[in-house]
Amino acid sequence: MSLTATRPAPSKQPAPSRRRAYKALEPSPAGKAVRVALLAIATPITLFPFYAMVVLSLKPAAAVEFPGSLLPWPIDTGAYEQVLGGRDLLLWTFNTLVYSVVSVVAVLLLASLAGYAFAKKRFPGRETMFWSFLSMVMVPYHVTLIPTFVLIAELGGVDTYWGLILPTLANAQAVFLMRQFIMGLPDELFEAARLDGCSEWRVFTRIVLPLCKPILATLGVFVFLWHWNDFLWPLIIGQGAEMRTLTVGIASLQQENVPLNVVLAGATVAFVPIFAAYLVGQRYFTEGVTMSGIKG
Amino acid sequence: MATTTAEAPRRGAISRWETRTGLLFVLPCFLLFLAFRFGPSIAGVLLGFFEFSIGDSPAFNGLENFRRLLGDPVFWDSLRVTLVYTVLYVPLSIGMSLGMALLVRRSFRGAGFFRSVFFLPVVTSLVLAGTVFTWLFSSEGPWTKLTGEPWLASTTLVIPALVMVSVWSKFGYGMLIILARLQDLPRELEEAALTDGAGVWQRFRHIVAPQLRPALFFVAVIETTGSFQVFDLVYVMTGGGPAHSSYTLVMALYDQGFKYFDFGYASAIGVALFVMTLVVALIQRLIIGRNR
Repeated sequence: MSLTATRPAPSKQPAPSRRRAYKALEPSPAGKAVRVALLAIATPITLFPFYAMVVLSLKPAAAVEFPGSLLPWPIDTGAYEQVLGGRDLLLWTFNTLVYSVVSVVAVLLLASLAGYAFAKKRFPGRETMFWSFLSMVMVPYHVTLIPTFVLIAELGGVDTYWGLILPTLANAQAVFLMRQFIMGLPDELFEAARLDGCSEWRVFTRIVLPLCKPILATLGVFVFLWHWNDFLWPLIIGQGAEMRTLTVGIASLQQENVPLNVVLAGATVAFVPIFAAYLVGQRYFTEGVTMSGIKG
Repeated sequence: MATTTAEAPRRGAISRWETRTGLLFVLPCFLLFLAFRFGPSIAGVLLGFFEFSIGDSPAFNGLENFRRLLGDPVFWDSLRVTLVYTVLYVPLSIGMSLGMALLVRRSFRGAGFFRSVFFLPVVTSLVLAGTVFTWLFSSEGPWTKLTGEPWLASTTLVIPALVMVSVWSKFGYGMLIILARLQDLPRELEEAALTDGAGVWQRFRHIVAPQLRPALFFVAVIETTGSFQVFDLVYVMTGGGPAHSSYTLVMALYDQGFKYFDFGYASAIGVALFVMTLVVALIQRLIIGRNR
């Protein structure tokens, strides 16, 4: 699975003349060799940090010195026992899950509601409202950081899940993507449902949402990734140790002079879920990027 | 929740009914935007004109924060660091993204595998990447043994080190965007050029590159505004050191806001960031406008 899976596959048997031209565009044997060589260099370099992370996490604390440390043997799982034995990592994972999952569900629901209205409903101020939403993409997130923190602090949201989650739900890109997608859906479907006596809410839940499954999956994975990896906002709003997310927790380990093998064991454990999700949902990750990139 | 049972609303009734359901559906999002985007954006700029700390109520002090900003060597340092970082990072990352996209462009056996490998760092959090790279650059790390110097401890090499890590972690993003554009290009032009005897470089230079410009430009804008806001890596890998040599604008904003609780001054730094972003947007408009 890869990006190509999302585009119409080139027909299996092109017309003979076309195939010849197609073949001609292919690199020469020498070109191919250069390409393979470059990829053979780039791949291990790209993967090396992951390798180092895993191998070093399996070393005793004293043995993280290069080059001896990069051989996989002998294995010492002490760091993992320490990391998985404590409750910190479990708690951070739980916090991260709450932050990501709740945000994904809420953003998808809110953005598809708004996207549907912006795409298919006529109401006064629609265009102004939509473009003012979109203009917020231009305002750096950091400009809003302090007022948002003050607001949440005043409302008593420091060190709470709602304080962590609520401000991140105003996602302009999500609204934009949902609107673009729903604009492409045929009006007749909604009309037919209305004629059958569906309430507007039922039209939304029974017709709009099911039709939006592909975009919801793509956007969902993207929002999930963003929240899972988010650092600054959880760092600010989670002042006590209880509210740390994985990113904040791992960063705190590093600053508290915990031995490197333990920090990296924690990092590896934090990486596994996102890696698994990536292996399963790769197509959606890459689609999320290309869509947000091209249309956003 | 809209409970309108529309018994096929008559023509005249449509607009009022549509208005109501439409507004109702937008309302939750609108309230969130009001509270957490529109409001804070305006407040963020306004707070720059106030003296404001935690527990205090804001007191208007005019341009004082900005005057202080202009006379603050730490601010100028952070601005310089951010710009140096951007100038190094943006061309490198675009070059890398473009090169890799061209390498994995044609479908061949394993192309999907390589794309996945190069995109993997993008899904990895910068905190994890920073943790591993801190070791790679540490005094016991391979990079130090290879180059004979711990880069993160050097005032001149710390920025190149951070740039390398950023390129590693982000090039897959640009690669995908450029790749998507590459795959949409019509083959005919390239085929025609080929029959006319154009070599690989000539075809790239005269046919592929001009058509890629919008995608490259988009990546450039995203990467530029992104690198103005670099924070996670710096926080994890250097904390802004040594001697403020990797102290970026957002590091300064974070410290002023959440270490010294000087919200007014931190907001003034935010305004500087905002202005820089607006300038990039303006340049973008000018260039795109000219190309039309």
